[in-house]
Amino acid sequence: MKKAAILLASLILSISLAQVKIGILSPLTGGAAGTGQAQKAGFELALEEINAAGGVLGEPLEILIEDTQANSDVALAAFEKLMTEDEVEFIGGGFSSGVTLGLIESFKTFQPVVSWIGGAVSGVGIDGFDGIEELVGEEPWFFHVHPWDYQNTAAANAFVASTGVGSVALLHEDSAFGGPGAATSERVIEEQGIDVVLNEAFKSTLTGGTGDFRAAISKAAASNADLLYWIGYDSDVVPMTSQIRELNFTPNYIFGTPPGWPSDYTEAPEAECVAGLIGFLPSLPTPEAKAFADAYEAMHGAAPDNYAAALAYAQLWSYADAINAAGSTDQAAVIEQLESLSFKSPMGEWSFGQSEISPHQGFGSEMWLVFQYQNGVREIVWPEDKATAPLASCN
Amino acid sequence: MDLTLLLQGILSGILASGLYALVSVGLALAIGVIGIVNFAHGEFFMVGAFLAYQLFISFGFDPVLSLFFVAPALFILGALIYRSSIQFVLKAPELNQMLLTFGIGIILQNLALVIWGGDPRSISNVPYRSIGYQVGGVSIGLVPLASFLISIFIVAGLYFVLLKTPLGRAMRAVAQNRTGASLVGLEVNRIYLLAFALSAALAGLGGVMIAVIQSPTPVVGFAFTLKAFAIVVLAGLGNIRGILGASLLVALAESLVATLVPDGDSLRNAVFFAIIFVVLIVRSRRQA
Repeated sequence: MKKAAILLASLILSISLAQVKIGILSPLTGGAAGTGQAQKAGFELALEEINAAGGVLGEPLEILIEDTQANSDVALAAFEKLMTEDEVEFIGGGFSSGVTLGLIESFKTFQPVVSWIGGAVSGVGIDGFDGIEELVGEEPWFFHVHPWDYQNTAAANAFVASTGVGSVALLHEDSAFGGPGAATSERVIEEQGIDVVLNEAFKSTLTGGTGDFRAAISKAAASNADLLYWIGYDSDVVPMTSQIRELNFTPNYIFGTPPGWPSDYTEAPEAECVAGLIGFLPSLPTPEAKAFADAYEAMHGAAPDNYAAALAYAQLWSYADAINAAGSTDQAAVIEQLESLSFKSPMGEWSFGQSEISPHQGFGSEMWLVFQYQNGVREIVWPEDKATAPLASCN
Repeated sequence: MDLTLLLQGILSGILASGLYALVSVGLALAIGVIGIVNFAHGEFFMVGAFLAYQLFISFGFDPVLSLFFVAPALFILGALIYRSSIQFVLKAPELNQMLLTFGIGIILQNLALVIWGGDPRSISNVPYRSIGYQVGGVSIGLVPLASFLISIFIVAGLYFVLLKTPLGRAMRAVAQNRTGASLVGLEVNRIYLLAFALSAALAGLGGVMIAVIQSPTPVVGFAFTLKAFAIVVLAGLGNIRGILGASLLVALAESLVATLVPDGDSLRNAVFFAIIFVVLIVRSRRQA
């Protein structure tokens, strides 16, 4: 009897002191590897800091990063491995709306706590299409960190309206990222009294295109729009902006919203006056942004170029803080702590609140900044209260 | 329809065909001479793009200059890969050959990911990348024009080698009848090695050009491999002479659809798949 009691006590103790494991799904290879590697770098920094500060529940935190390759089938297998073989209770990371949509049924089957960075396609306002927020937004275990598409477009469109232009040509890549975003943008921009004179799809280099956008740009040039607004991926930046110059298209403003920008692009001649939407820049005038950028550079030897690094960093810290505050890995207790959590992250205040459908939405349109390449520097030009330089016309 | 827009579409299609031909001719060479379908062809292209990027970053080499370094480097890489793997599966079932080249492609892609990372890399300071000459309302880009001319020059040079030199005759002999070529004293394995290495070098040259036009990533070769397969099928498997015409047809068809159809740019891949379907069906009917 005594032996049994000791065994039981040891078992309980071993369970309570077990290392907390967080499963991460991230596209480490494949076409979205830039974002995945940035997430990984952010997680590594946060992990080092968390464990240096005492870990989680008194033990070093462990993260298990699985490569989704930005592919739904691969992501599904990786998620099910994390749930069945690794037996994690918390899922982080996340990128790509297509991948997220492919995971939702399995999320609902296993129901771990999911804090999800990517997957912006909400489905809100789009008839005949069920988006991520519509499908999973109300689940108590689902937390969405990145702004939804309507929040992205609200920020982008607020910037467009602030330029005072009369007409806009919209070029968008043709997958789940650019298509719904362009449809919402067209509607919102026209509601602001600005003419959308063209809404044209193109094949991104990330999804099988060769980077020849001349046909789409020629149509935009023929429309004589004041502002060219393009929605594409990081690898589209160089061909898009160089071909705009090559075709002698000179709108007042060139504004793009890829998830990230090539690291060496700042020095490219065609970068001058190109504006873009971004979630984080090391030049953001807050102590948290500077501390993160300094620590990131010390660990990885380069400044954080992709805002996914900052999101991943803050996401892991949020899990660590919530589990420590809950005092256990009990799902209900951790969810309660995540719901009430608030701290200053590199991008701004971190907390979860209500969006159109989800009660657990992290950042909204306030996260976004617009920068413009000016003389080889990325200057923040919008919103005004964070601006480091005024917006310059390309003409 | 705006006539200027139409002319721009035709011009863009013609200029794009040069690069398509350069990438495809290497693939056709491997299929035509060695009889192997090389699924790693796009990765040779990608390695060429990254080498041009690295030469720029490390030594400030202009991409035009790096053509002279990348081509020999890819030639050596192709030769090494042939010697270490391809030569052992020449008599194996085609599926095994395809799996091997597919695996080589994945290894090269992941090596690139380890060395250069997943972020798009750009050769930033290329002053001529954005230059376009305006002629009658139509823009002729300096880079597409140069890429077209260089590609045509290289492809024409390859035709010359194949038709007029002893090496080319040997390649054609081996392609027609391996056993017969061997019986008359040709070193078949050496010719295969040269053909495979040359194929890799041609893909590498295409990669250098794409390093100027867009940002190399480990998957940059994928789209061009698809086009190259379509062009090779259109020209007839292994028919190197038909590559120029097939490239022009595919590039023009894509560009015109992209220009004339609303949202046409997103139909580019559908265009060349449609061409493959039509060609395969017509050829099957003729043979039947």
